[in-house]
Order: sequence, then structure tokens, then C-alpha cells
Amino acid sequence: MVERSFPFIMRATLKLLAAASWAAAALAHASDPDVMAAIAAPAPASNPAPLNLAAPEHSWHLGAAFGYGTRSNPLIQSDDIPVIVDVDISWYGKHWFFDNGDIGFTFTDGSRATTSLVARLNDDRVFFGKTSTRFVNFAYTGFGATGPLVTTSGAPIPEPVQVKPPDRDYAIELGVESLIDTDWGLVTLGAFHDVSGTHGGYELSTRFSRRWTLGRLSLAPTVGVSYKSANLNDYYWGVHKDEASFALPEYHADAGFNFEGGLVTNYYLTRNLRVALSVNYEQLADTIAASPLAEDDHVLAWFSGLAWSF
Amino acid sequence: MQKLSRLILASGLAACLPAAGADVPAARLLVKPLLCVTDHNVASCPMTFDIRWKSPAPVEYCLNDSALATPLRCWPKVDSGEHVQKRDVSEPFVYWLGPPGGTQRAAEVKIDVLRLDSADRRRERRTRHVWDVL
Repeated sequence: MVERSFPFIMRATLKLLAAASWAAAALAHASDPDVMAAIAAPAPASNPAPLNLAAPEHSWHLGAAFGYGTRSNPLIQSDDIPVIVDVDISWYGKHWFFDNGDIGFTFTDGSRATTSLVARLNDDRVFFGKTSTRFVNFAYTGFGATGPLVTTSGAPIPEPVQVKPPDRDYAIELGVESLIDTDWGLVTLGAFHDVSGTHGGYELSTRFSRRWTLGRLSLAPTVGVSYKSANLNDYYWGVHKDEASFALPEYHADAGFNFEGGLVTNYYLTRNLRVALSVNYEQLADTIAASPLAEDDHVLAWFSGLAWSF
Repeated sequence: MQKLSRLILASGLAACLPAAGADVPAARLLVKPLLCVTDHNVASCPMTFDIRWKSPAPVEYCLNDSALATPLRCWPKVDSGEHVQKRDVSEPFVYWLGPPGGTQRAAEVKIDVLRLDSADRRRERRTRHVWDVL
């Protein structure tokens, strides 16, 4: 439990640190007498002149969404992952940036494309955080009678058999990510490799998204495909030799493609508050879906609620 | 913490109270809508503003637009007024109410512009963490 909670605690701590830094920066900004005067004083008594009332784009972005949603869990004997609060913390400097746990360094920023070196945590591990142990009975029924199943050597299978999804670790992945503006939308290309010695594999991905805005409503559909190497898939979705049992036979996952599509919808009530609705579907590679550890061949995530951006 | 409290208090006051000067009777100014959302495909918002004001006593007021040097409309000594204005909005501005030829404001309302697109392309990236559903 502690082990499973640790990455979330670590991420939460990072976000809290970021939030504290943001608050300190805001406080320092508030101590500026000009800012205080502009906020507290009545409207200026000067004649109307061209005003720059546009809010500047801050380096920090802080947001939170409250509502309800889930991310389905394709792992056997696992619960779906509830999403009640979605905290969004990011910071963008000239080169460095922090985006909800991802840390990046931008080394090229052109008129059409931005390319960064990015460190991130692998997402597959998150499915292994809500597992439970179950006991499974193996029996056959025939000729009106029920009897124990036997192994290939003829020995009866002790019952019940304990079945528990194996533990998996988070992997730190380092890679290159390019964001490319096209006439049709934004293309994201990514190539990441494990640098933590966890799975030793890599992932290549591409995603296309486009946002349409109509009045206060914005719609942003996304499609994407990712190729995960055999090492990556096998680490998370393979049943390794020392984990294999009659209930969980040994399995080696190969490389494969995951496909995804999603839609993010926002209706802006005010500058800071919006109603948010999002849905995302990911079709897992056949080699993952065929794993004894997988009971679904897809991941479905959705969320609806109120989102606040500061 | 004290500074933060002052900031929050000041923000609340600025949002709630009419911006009346010492010798300008306060008025209540209501404007709808208040927000324009722009994006890479929407440079401006064609909006029709429904503007209403009310004062406890008859006053001679003009409705002004912070982007214009001359008033939009002036009323004789009355205690309320209405105005409809069609306008293409791409920048934030303020509607304000005050005496003719004066600069003091009895009330003001800001029309905000929210820009969804950003000059920083990295703000468009979407992470795929389990909690990141937006």
C-alpha cells in the first residue's frame, strides 16, 4: 500500500511545492504598491485613453477541476480509477518547463515547431495501483458431477488458488517531444526511452488534436497512436516466469500499437470558471489484450465537472 | 498573510462596489454578456451588449466606452436607462457611467476577453496522466 501510494504522494508533493512557489510569487507581486493601488482604488478619474486591459500570460498556470469521472482499468482484479479532482499545475520558462509532473527543456522553438527534451513517468504502472487478491476455484463439471481439475502431470490443483496481479514499478522515461503547428491542428511527436532501468523499453507516439471555439464553447478532438516496444509491454503486461501459476500462465508480450481518440469540451462561464466534459478511449495493442493480466482490450476515461483556472 | 488578506478584500470590494467618486451619486450598471472567448480560429467576438443602469435619484449620466473618447449615449435627468450596442470585441474594455463631460465614474463594468490560444506552443501540450482528464 505504501509502495503503491508513494508515487502519488511524490506527485502530490511536487504539485504542492509548485503551488507554494506560485502563491509566494503571487504574494510578492501583490506587495507591489502599484498593483495594490490599481485593485483597491476607485476607478481612475482621468479621461478614457487607450487601455491595455488584457490579462498578461503568466509563467505559472494553476487550475483545478471538481466533478466525477473514471478511468477504466484493464488489469485483472482491479478497480477502475475514480477521478474526483483534477489538479493542473504547470510552469513555463524560456527553456525549462514543468507540466503536471513532466519536466522539460526546450531546445528549439520555431514558428511552426517546438522541440523539447522531456522527462516523465510511465503511465502503465498506474493500473497496478488498485489491485486485489482473489481466490479462484478450478473445477470441471461433467456427467452430473464436479471434480477438481488436474495439472498436465495429473496432480490435482489445490483449491482455492490465490490469484494476485504482480507488482510493477514506475519507470522514468526520457525523450524528445515535438509540437508542430499545421494548418489542420497540432501534431505531437514523441520518442521516449526508459532511463530508470525498470523496463528497458521505449515508446514512439504521435497525436493530432484540433480545437474549435464557437462562442463560449470549445471542442477539442484528439486522435493518436503509440508504438510500445516489446520490453516495455512485456515488463508491464507479461507474466514472468517467477510469477506464473496455473491461474496465471507465463506470457510474453510483444511490441504493439495502441490507438486512442478523445474529445475535450469546455463551456466558459467566466474567464476563470468553465464546465468541462472529457472522454478518451484507448484501444490496447493485441499483445496487451491477450495477456492473462488484461481483462479488457481498452481503456475508457471520462470526466465531467467544473474547472477553475487561475 | 496580511498582504494576501488585503489583496482578497480589495479584490472583493473592487468587484462589488460601484466606482463612485465623492461627488458622483452611485449607480448600478448591468451589462450582458461579459465574456468574449477568442482562439486561433476566432479573432474577435461579434457581441450585442444589453446595458442597463439604475440610480436611486434622478441624475444626468452618460454611458462611456473606455476605448472611445466620446460617450456612447447621454440621458437627461432620469433614474434609469437602457442601451443596446453591437460591437466586435477583440480586446477587453470597460463600460462606465458618469456625468456628461466629466471623468468621474459612477459605475463601471469590464468586458473580458479570454484567449485560448497562446504564443507558447508548449501550453497546448496535453499530458496523459491518469488524473489528467482535461
